[in-house]
Amino acid sequence: MTTNPEKPIGANQLTNNVKAGGCSAKISAFELKQILAGLPKTKHANLLSGIDNFEDAAVYKLSDELAIIESVDFFPPVVDDPYLFGQIAANNALSDIYAMGGKPLIAQAIFAFPTCDYPLAIAAEILRGGADQVAKAGALLTGGHSIQSSETIYGLAVTGLINPKDILTNSGARPNDRIIMTKAIGTGVSLLALKAGLLSKAEQAHLFSALTTLNDRALEAARTVDIHACTDVTGFGLVGHIHEMAKASKLAARMLISALRFFPSAQEFAKQGLVPASAYGNRKSFEASVSYIKDLPLEVSDLLYDPQTAGGLLLAVDENDSANLIKTMGEAGIEATDIGGFIEGIPGHIDVLIS
Amino acid sequence: MKKSLDLRGLTCPEPVLRTKKLIDDPALSCIEILVDSEVNVQNLTRLANSQKLTVVSAPEDLHYKVVLQRATTEDHPGGHLHETVETGQKQASTNVSNNSSTNTSTGSGTIILISRNSFGQADNQKNEGDSDKAKRDYDFSSNLLNLFLQTLLQSGHEPRAILMVNSGVKLMDPEGPYIKVLNELKEKGIEVLACGLCLDYYDLKGKVAVEQITNMFAICEYLFSADRVISP
Repeated sequence: MTTNPEKPIGANQLTNNVKAGGCSAKISAFELKQILAGLPKTKHANLLSGIDNFEDAAVYKLSDELAIIESVDFFPPVVDDPYLFGQIAANNALSDIYAMGGKPLIAQAIFAFPTCDYPLAIAAEILRGGADQVAKAGALLTGGHSIQSSETIYGLAVTGLINPKDILTNSGARPNDRIIMTKAIGTGVSLLALKAGLLSKAEQAHLFSALTTLNDRALEAARTVDIHACTDVTGFGLVGHIHEMAKASKLAARMLISALRFFPSAQEFAKQGLVPASAYGNRKSFEASVSYIKDLPLEVSDLLYDPQTAGGLLLAVDENDSANLIKTMGEAGIEATDIGGFIEGIPGHIDVLIS
Repeated sequence: MKKSLDLRGLTCPEPVLRTKKLIDDPALSCIEILVDSEVNVQNLTRLANSQKLTVVSAPEDLHYKVVLQRATTEDHPGGHLHETVETGQKQASTNVSNNSSTNTSTGSGTIILISRNSFGQADNQKNEGDSDKAKRDYDFSSNLLNLFLQTLLQSGHEPRAILMVNSGVKLMDPEGPYIKVLNELKEKGIEVLACGLCLDYYDLKGKVAVEQITNMFAICEYLFSADRVISP
């Protein structure tokens, strides 16, 4: 029995006491850099991916054929429907495993809940949404930990498996590779608009579908070509994640505005000031690396920095493979687009073209 | 009619939503709003711009005050000009071409391209550093460039941008003789930009503000879309 998203349990609204939801809740890249600076660097022969190069997950080699992938993700409610929130948060966490090229195996839930402010039935629904999403990924929810708290938080620690030779990182892009994006952007702005009651039923359905679609099929379709680099578009926004991939690959990037897919009405909402706080944080963190060929309308550049929740994959593939890959993805029901490419240049720098 | 709103303590998107409701009332000409974060100020500014209201904001004690005003043709001095530009296409295009400094995109206008840190070249300059005469020639040529920029500043001519490449980026040295006139030109709304690759080559990158660093890509665009390029 699935909860109807239009009728949340009880009159209480989950998002009422949330300061910032979804990937808007992330500490900004700018601040994160400062607080992580003092940590010791972890290096180990078997640690194939760690905190360096902004990788999506850690990868530890067990043998020549097997490595484990580890990732954790959690945030406050982005929607009022508890079941849907559970699904979205779980989806976001599982995505990091796909972004490394692996398959999720087991997950543990991380849960904080204000038991005094909401009925327990709401907590149960959040956990059920998360559990169903884990099952959809073919993984096992094996436990978790919960605490009472003033603010609701839900997420997962996920373990996945991969053959070391199949690992996908941020850093393998090559000059003249194309950048393929597998989902539209604008969830930050759209979730604020949702909260404001401004989304039509159709726009809500479109948004919820995108937020609960796993990246498993996108990864599977991508495997039909040689993937040079891969990440998922989440809290740092499209510009932030392209910047990370470019910097890690020691290349510059070019992005085409006309090729981007935005959620319906996202530009209109951004224009009206429904821009989440971390979009400004992302702008501060990354705008020094961006040049514009021409002044962009403010609402378009706002969307480039818009933090994404459960975003799609960002893939670097050979320019000769781009058209075929998009066709293959289309056949799998994924609307992928070629949004630009990597070039020799100042590592991490992005040139934004109109078309 | 004026109204005050205290939106402190409200989280997104409440401040924008509540303000939007008030804006929809055409009888209100001025709304004074208190918010407690810079993000709210930015979002209200976007809302105001989308609804064609003027917006002024300033920090005040521990919060921010944002004032939105509906522009009317009677009390807004620019109102009459606004109508002329909108209704007369022919007039509008005349206005724009006569006043290139109002053009805010990277296109059109005059670009000044400075590709070395001197204006022209004196006889012995290519042997700079080799002899007294060469050094005097070099100093003369650099001072001439400074004179050109000072004259430009006072002439009333307003180029769209001043672009510096190769040794021209040396003009951006914060301890050099050119930085004062360049800053004064910048204050007039002229873009003063130096090529990042060149700044790096001449070890100046750390000394120049990020918003004044550009790249070959943007430089190309400026040059190709300019009405005219002047290279001293």
